Amino acid sequence: MRTLLLASGALLLGSMSVAPWAVSRAQDAPLVQTVDVAAERFSFTPSEIKTTVGTVLTIRLTSDDTAHGFRIVGSDVNIEIPKRSRGTATVTFTPEKAGRYTFECSKLCGAGHSFMRGVIIATEAPKDEE
Amino acid sequence: MFDGDVLSTQNFTFGNRGLLPLALGLLLSFPADSSAQNTPGPTSPTALSGYMEVHYTNAELEDGQLDFHRFILLITHQFSDRIRFVSELELEHALVAGLEEAGELELEQAYIDFLLSRSFNVRAGMLLMPVGIINERHEPPVFYGVERPLVETVIIPTTWFEPGVGIHGELGRGWRYRAYVTSPLNAARFSAEEGVRDGRQKGSRTNVGKAAATGRVEYVGIRGLTTGASFWAGSTGFEFRPRFDVPVRVVEADARYARARFEGRAQVAQVTIAGAGDLNDAIARTTGVNPNIARTLRGSYLEASYRVVSGARFGDVGTFVRYENVDTQFRMPAGYLPLQEFDRDAWVVGATYWPEPDIAVKFDYVHQRNRSAIVPAPHSFNIGLGWWF
Repeated sequence: MRTLLLASGALLLGSMSVAPWAVSRAQDAPLVQTVDVAAERFSFTPSEIKTTVGTVLTIRLTSDDTAHGFRIVGSDVNIEIPKRSRGTATVTFTPEKAGRYTFECSKLCGAGHSFMRGVIIATEAPKDEE
Repeated sequence: MFDGDVLSTQNFTFGNRGLLPLALGLLLSFPADSSAQNTPGPTSPTALSGYMEVHYTNAELEDGQLDFHRFILLITHQFSDRIRFVSELELEHALVAGLEEAGELELEQAYIDFLLSRSFNVRAGMLLMPVGIINERHEPPVFYGVERPLVETVIIPTTWFEPGVGIHGELGRGWRYRAYVTSPLNAARFSAEEGVRDGRQKGSRTNVGKAAATGRVEYVGIRGLTTGASFWAGSTGFEFRPRFDVPVRVVEADARYARARFEGRAQVAQVTIAGAGDLNDAIARTTGVNPNIARTLRGSYLEASYRVVSGARFGDVGTFVRYENVDTQFRMPAGYLPLQEFDRDAWVVGATYWPEPDIAVKFDYVHQRNRSAIVPAPHSFNIGLGWWF
């Protein structure tokens, strides 16, 4: 039994994949970054999003179970993430200062609701070379 | 400080419609969510939610039983961005008439969270022990099977809650932790069949002469994967006179992985009761009955499930199989023999129908066995209805 459990753990770890990220910029346009975030009781994946100041960050949110909320603390961003198989919620957010912006589930979703938090880390964009 | 802007442009989508022309689907014509725009999140600082479970159990050699097992209300209040209150009030078995068998009204959670930073937050009040898969994540639509796994009933005594104080946070890259100091278990109520389960003090005038410590480290950095390890340690012999020490340790590891329609779960848990021989002697002196408590209890399970229907207009359907092995008499103190009927294993097979993601209609069959040549292990057929709102 113990061997079975260990083997299943190894299989789980072996089948991991990384959430997709995409960053693009048209000429003379602000950077645009798109991130897919999955919500489930009681975590966001990824729970850490790195971006640069001035980048237009588009976050596409889906749920693997019930309806959740997505709120960036201190901003106007607060949206409901529809239940599993009910579609995607999309928000955009453009950090104007370097810093850490906390996001959290804003819709009560169960006993561990308050564990559903994450952070957007915005750093200064590297200056373009002349 | 910064600008935030919500766009509301994306339509909801559906997949794999009409895979199964089930008669049930025709009868239950649930409307699809036809919203064309994203919905703003809630803005009220106070929220009410809850979940309920009704069970029909038909065990071998017994009449069927219908039980409104759990009625739970959650109330939360956000005092500010950094201070919030969370509570969970549970009515078990629909009636409060004294002992647990009749029904219980329990305050399972009631705490204040002081959110100081991402990596360090303080929590105080009535806390769920951060041990195992189910204890902190037990809403009926999120687990297969009418009843919770046996491992998470008699090895990890879910729902396990005690008053205390602690810290929690996320360390980055998907690693997070909880560490609490709480009231301990009460060894005077341990048993051969259900281990430490009846030793929960549940926050009612609890003895904290020697506080217990518990914690969990968890990795949630990959979509669909949650894996963690938990511990609990405490001194539990406070009720005896003269008082003597009964140190108890609980260690546990688990993994849960969901990808597309597949989900797998694995868990192993062990309880160690130091001084179990003295504990048996002390209880026997008090009650006149030898409780035959083991010095080690062990349990594990593997579960695989698959959503055979996903995203259909009439809902989702999933099937599962689980193998459990539980032995609450795994290692005995010197001079005590194990009661073989408590060395159990079980195959559980069943299905869940979600007419919508927050409602689960469950069916399962439990084929239980034990090592006793005298006491049979009853098989059972179970039906459950659970919902979250």
